[in-house]
Amino acid sequence: MTRRRMFFKMLTYSLLRRRSRMTVALLSVAIGATVLLGMAAVSYDIPRQMGREFRSYGANMIFVASGEEALLRVDAAQRAAALIPPDELIGLTPYRYGIVRVNMQGYTAVGTDFDQAAKTSPYWSIAGEYPKAGGEILIGADVAEFTKLAPGSSMTVTGRAEDGTRFRLDAKISGTVRTGSVEDGFIFMPMPTLESLMGSSGVAEVVEVSIAADETELKRIVSEISREVPEISPRLVKRVTQSETTVLSKLQALVFLVSLVVLVLTMICVATTMMTVVLERRKEIGLKKALGADNRRIAAEFLGEGLFLGSAGGALGAVFGYMFAQAISMNVFGRAVTIDWRLPLLAVLISIAVTIAACLLPVRRAMDVEPALVLRGE
Amino acid sequence: MICRMLMGALLRQRGRVLTITLTMALGASLATAMLNVMMDIGDKVNQELKAYGANLSVVPKSVSLISDLYGASDDGAQENAAPEKYLAEDEIAKLKTIFWAFNIVDFTPYLQISAKVSGPSGTVEAQVWGAWFDKHLDTPTGESVDTGMVRMKSWWDIEGAWPARDDPSGAMIGASLASKLGVKQGDRISVAAGHLGEAVVSGVFHSGGSEDDDLFVPLPLAQEISGLRGLVSKIDVSALTTPENDLARRAAQDPNSLSRHEWDTWYCTAYISSIAYQIEEVISNARAKPVLQVAESEGAILQKTQLLMLLLTVLSLACSALAISNLVTASVMERSAEIGLLEAVGASASEVSFLVLAETMIATLAGGVAGYLAGRGFAQIIGHTVFGSAIAAKGLVPPLVALLVFAVTVAGSLPAIRLLASLRPAEVLHGR
Repeated sequence: MTRRRMFFKMLTYSLLRRRSRMTVALLSVAIGATVLLGMAAVSYDIPRQMGREFRSYGANMIFVASGEEALLRVDAAQRAAALIPPDELIGLTPYRYGIVRVNMQGYTAVGTDFDQAAKTSPYWSIAGEYPKAGGEILIGADVAEFTKLAPGSSMTVTGRAEDGTRFRLDAKISGTVRTGSVEDGFIFMPMPTLESLMGSSGVAEVVEVSIAADETELKRIVSEISREVPEISPRLVKRVTQSETTVLSKLQALVFLVSLVVLVLTMICVATTMMTVVLERRKEIGLKKALGADNRRIAAEFLGEGLFLGSAGGALGAVFGYMFAQAISMNVFGRAVTIDWRLPLLAVLISIAVTIAACLLPVRRAMDVEPALVLRGE
Repeated sequence: MICRMLMGALLRQRGRVLTITLTMALGASLATAMLNVMMDIGDKVNQELKAYGANLSVVPKSVSLISDLYGASDDGAQENAAPEKYLAEDEIAKLKTIFWAFNIVDFTPYLQISAKVSGPSGTVEAQVWGAWFDKHLDTPTGESVDTGMVRMKSWWDIEGAWPARDDPSGAMIGASLASKLGVKQGDRISVAAGHLGEAVVSGVFHSGGSEDDDLFVPLPLAQEISGLRGLVSKIDVSALTTPENDLARRAAQDPNSLSRHEWDTWYCTAYISSIAYQIEEVISNARAKPVLQVAESEGAILQKTQLLMLLLTVLSLACSALAISNLVTASVMERSAEIGLLEAVGASASEVSFLVLAETMIATLAGGVAGYLAGRGFAQIIGHTVFGSAIAAKGLVPPLVALLVFAVTVAGSLPAIRLLASLRPAEVLHGR
């Protein structure tokens, strides 16, 4: 009992009396833990955060009708979409195509849901606005150039409905869209408008889906949808999914490697600080030995100090590390970071381990000293 | 005398000096590695993003909307098609002569024809593309380039293989067309559009896109079948670009709206719009359109990655600077007895500070140089492990690292020196 009291007393005094030196050591442990937790949290969170950014490439999954059917039912697509976890689903846009004529020139008319299209295809460059009312249309940049029509003017669209009757629509151009690919030659209109022209509703040629998930999760969703909603065949857009996987894995590997290098360096820094702290106390060790302390008691005392410094510095570092990761995440991605609760715990444990390991080496060397020599000042 | 004292101090306290040198070497190597990687990350990620395919598509100015939309026009029309609806194949090499030629990574011309394709289980009307699979090209500037679809369609899933270079009849067939025709690798198919041609299926691909219904044959074969000798209908270009800014956006609307100075800046920066403009300058009758799906997203992702690396670099540098100056402070403070002695024999505070600073500086500079070299090594390890290519050593890094080493040393020594200068010699020497 008294031994234990004495142990704690010595520990407390050693920490209190040598305040400035202990602050230095504590700070260096805290800095090490900050970098450790911050980097680990960032590299852990990168696939999720960057994955969101990669959604600017557009849809990574499309739904088409299975079998020989050309059109799929939109309500079936909605049922399929319900199988996708809601926080992963970014957008779901149906597209229906029809052929129309403007001044005897044939064009492809596309019916879609513009709110969703803005989510699945954020790269569309719109001059003017998306159509809001039923009579408004969005024309491709090439169509605008060919017809010499600008947003605000009107366009007469004619064609034949599915049952063969002719239709005519005087539409107002709300804007033009430029993508650099086929969309530049299309005429877009709200889905209900195209449906009323064509004379049938509730169907689409293709549904584009943008999902924030990695390839394995996407494959799981594909197999689940094809099992649960057999009339829909979901397909991955390989160009997008495959490239995203390669780029993301490289980015994560990069941040991971960088973190590792930073980690090793800060750990060495912590270790050198601890070594200097211990080495200067050779005299004290010599005195204790002269008074009859055995090696184990001395080692235990230093380990106790290491444990205290490691856990206090680690806890401090965990708080700062969280702020570090949060600052990066907010600045780069504009979203809060998610931290696995195990990471801070791990950071504290590693700090303790490193501090103790850093103490052990010089303590062992110090224990070999002859008390008489040290005390005489040699 | 100062020199002798310096030398003496450095030599006598080898252990302590070594600790400072080592710590600084570690810090400097971290700074070097991070800065090098950060400055090169844009190029590296840009290269990776090339997997998304072409970001520029070069088409003839007067391409008719009809054929773009339906892809199909009757065979007669192809025969007597006006040449201005096509681009000349022999002009393609000029892509490598523009100002940003170095940034043009890959390019492939395509000749689009619609043809009757026959296999064992029937004949279907399909899109046939004449293309370069794997092409060796000698440019007018004397460079030689290897490019083609092999490099630009890396996401395709292929059963079989790409046709060998200069194979006159090797073809790539989309998976759904292949199943309609009942062909597999090694089968012969015939293609008819005006003239009749024969191709051998070298590989079947799944792309997950509309190409799965198409057939790709070597460009000369497609030109022969369609009678469009020396012509192509579009060129896909994959270029390394700088993320767009306001200037680039204004220029994309109308390059003539810029002032002379702005125009120079725009022209000499690798914006997608300036590369497109330069392509239009060298290829006659062409219009270069940025493929926004790829171009815009590339810009967004590049910016995020660069910002991420920048922040990581700054924060980890700040942390290591703190840790190092912490250590420098600790090691300077240890020497209170010696300083006290110096002051007792009559040294002034400024002389002592100078001596301590000079000592620390020599130790840290040595560490900085060693660290810079080690950091170059770290950067290469990172480059090779992650991207499989070397990280370019940037000229800006050494001065930055030197500045950092200097600042950290001074900042780390200052509090300690202030403390030492205020010591009372007698007390210190007495051992309190």
